[in-house]
Amino acid sequence: MYVLSFVLNAIVVSALSPLAVGLIRTLKARIQVRVGADPFQPYRDLSKLFRKDEVISEDASWIFTASPYIVFGTTLALAAGVPILSSALTFAPLSDMLVFVYMLAVGTFFLALSGIDAGSGFGGFGASREMTIAALTEGGLILSLAALALLTGSSMFLTMASVTMTLPLAKVLPLIIAAAAFFIALLAENARYPVDNPATHLELTMVHEAMLLEHSGKGLALMEWSASNKLLIFTAIFVNVFLPWGSPTSPGLAALFVGAIWFALKTLAVLAGIACIESGMAKFRIFRVPDLLFTSFVLSVIAIVLTV
Amino acid sequence: MNDQHIIQRYLSDRIPERSGNTLVVRAEAHELTDLFRTLIDALPFISMFATDEYGSFSIRYVFGVPHENAFIVVLLPLSGTAFPSLAREFPCTALYERLCMTMFGLTAEGHPDPRTVTLHEENWPRDTYPMRTSFEWNTRVPMRGSGTYRFHEVSGEGIYEIPVGPVHAGIIEPGNFRFSVAGEEIIALEARLGWVHKGTEKLFEHLAMSQHPALAEHVSGDSSFAHSLAYCQAIEVLTGTAVPERARYLRTVFGELERLTMHLFDIGNICGNGTGFTFMATQGFRMTEELRRLSQRLAGNRFWRSINLPGGVTKDISADDARQLTTFLGALKEDFADMMNVADQSASLANRLQGTGTLSRVVAQENHATGVAARCVGIEKDVRVEYPYAAYDSLKPDVVTEQAGDVDARVKVRVREVYESIRLIVLALERLPRGPLATTIRTLPSKGMAVGLTESWRGEIAYAVITDDQGAIARVAVRDPSFVHWQLFPHMVGRDMVPDFPLINKSLNLSYTGNDL
Repeated sequence: MYVLSFVLNAIVVSALSPLAVGLIRTLKARIQVRVGADPFQPYRDLSKLFRKDEVISEDASWIFTASPYIVFGTTLALAAGVPILSSALTFAPLSDMLVFVYMLAVGTFFLALSGIDAGSGFGGFGASREMTIAALTEGGLILSLAALALLTGSSMFLTMASVTMTLPLAKVLPLIIAAAAFFIALLAENARYPVDNPATHLELTMVHEAMLLEHSGKGLALMEWSASNKLLIFTAIFVNVFLPWGSPTSPGLAALFVGAIWFALKTLAVLAGIACIESGMAKFRIFRVPDLLFTSFVLSVIAIVLTV
Repeated sequence: MNDQHIIQRYLSDRIPERSGNTLVVRAEAHELTDLFRTLIDALPFISMFATDEYGSFSIRYVFGVPHENAFIVVLLPLSGTAFPSLAREFPCTALYERLCMTMFGLTAEGHPDPRTVTLHEENWPRDTYPMRTSFEWNTRVPMRGSGTYRFHEVSGEGIYEIPVGPVHAGIIEPGNFRFSVAGEEIIALEARLGWVHKGTEKLFEHLAMSQHPALAEHVSGDSSFAHSLAYCQAIEVLTGTAVPERARYLRTVFGELERLTMHLFDIGNICGNGTGFTFMATQGFRMTEELRRLSQRLAGNRFWRSINLPGGVTKDISADDARQLTTFLGALKEDFADMMNVADQSASLANRLQGTGTLSRVVAQENHATGVAARCVGIEKDVRVEYPYAAYDSLKPDVVTEQAGDVDARVKVRVREVYESIRLIVLALERLPRGPLATTIRTLPSKGMAVGLTESWRGEIAYAVITDDQGAIARVAVRDPSFVHWQLFPHMVGRDMVPDFPLINKSLNLSYTGNDL
């Protein structure tokens, strides 16, 4: 069962994550009255990149070449512990929230290292910005999950999901506050507005993209794919752990089918939300980002206080 | 004020020679600084350039006399190749002097920074000066470097350098920037341009006159019309040609349409791409595209080209077209107002624009900034009012100014100018007189000089045309506003941070090709 859930989650996330990114892009285009590419464009981009050769800086060490595999690997491990189609289908050893947060940090660490490793100026400041943002996001991320752990009496995602569904109405308020805090962390961790602009071509303003500038071909494909995996994983936690209504707890096939539909609908709503945010506002100045991330932190603390 | 008054007021006892719209006064090297100081205290400095008449060099400093359509030119004949540098006392001359050194092989004695501009020493051989008459326009210059360029270095704990360009990620022109930063804050910025040098000024001396307007249009494609108009005006003054009334009004219409096109583009580009408020980019670029298609319909190309020629214009606007254009502009105005309504309500956008890239009034004045760069700090400078051309003397444009000097102020200047341009076009179309489109120009006088000035959407474009003793064009000195405004950047980014540079850059939207010529 464990092995099955690991493989299934990893496959489902990897197979669907480019679609999630594509959907945001298409929705954004439509909101801005553009036609835009269809949501399947990221698959074409990935397959193109996988067929291309890599150009690697002479100054790069093994870290640079290994990083895409390590980063992609961490996203697969992250996917295993998160309830995607059904909370029954999670890989329990990796389902602990602390394991999740620090597995995430491993990925970020190698992403930043590979940014610095090639020796370009852009990679360096991209990495420096990423680490600043990651450090500031961590507070809100951990505490929002901690609030949920206190609410549900467990630090395991699979238990959290099933308990939140049966929460008494009085405890819904801290849950919603914690969810809001987590949503801010989701935007920051995934290089979305207002923290980072995933669509920019201006190197000087980039955070996440600046670290990828030196990657090409397969390495770039894996990095891009990891980023979309991460987005889908965060969305899955948001919709299945914080707002798990509709997600089945039993592993039956019929339940799985219902779970898939609910998951799709809720994910679509989150993606549409991100698309709206990215169409309706300007990106924040990097010095204003801490304010936003501090808000996430404060919201989490409020959720915890309300719970205890 | 007639010539006598101008001379009395600005030149005291000197006797200038009148040529075209210029009053040329000769100066010796030792009296140059004093004369320059007297003039620059009273008059705006427009340009300076060198000329080579088969081995005898001279330098000309051009000052404008606003509201008189006259220019005072200080002519400094050189006995050898050295001239006294004014750059220490008047920083606005620094870059011009470097250009004279690079292009003509002259020496500005006492120049604080004599590094070459435009022709890069990594691949340009020593002692090769393309603007000299002895240099054939079609010389194949071997790729042989003569040195390396040294960027200014900033040292200190925690300071690091970010090299950017000359090749960029977007489809933009090449420019090499060196940022010295502490964390995210910019300590110093040095721009190294010249990557798109095309030998434009040399080509003016080689190509037939009939090809000159097209060449001027290609100095900087985004201000094609203003460039060719400045050239044509200089020729018309030189030959004493009176342009037909209808052509004057049509030039106003086309000139304002070009301004409208680029202002809409810039507002979309600054507010949209610069800050990530993508809605503005989509809408701004859509409106720009509508104007490009209008250009295609009226001029047969998308960049307001092949309209000007010395003596008038080649493209007419029929009564039918005029009516359609007025309706189109009415709709565009409403469309634009709707877009700005959305922008005005966005707090995140205002936060990005306000206080970013602040230009001080002193810096703008010292560098003789023009156009949007001058008007965003409250300097009322506009060629259309100060040296009225086309039909501007009867249409009386309002000069739009803002005070803050930040990116927000530059956007606001553009927004208000969009409305002003629409008003001017509609007014010009209403009053469009009947008559011929162009008249034939008379022959050029020998040893003449004239200056043509236009207000492009970016700022003041200056063309100085000089003829030789046979009455052929000997020199066309082109000065795009970008050349002046690039010098403002190091002063503008002082307290800003690296990720805001693209936004500040877009807020002036300078031309690389116009700078590199």
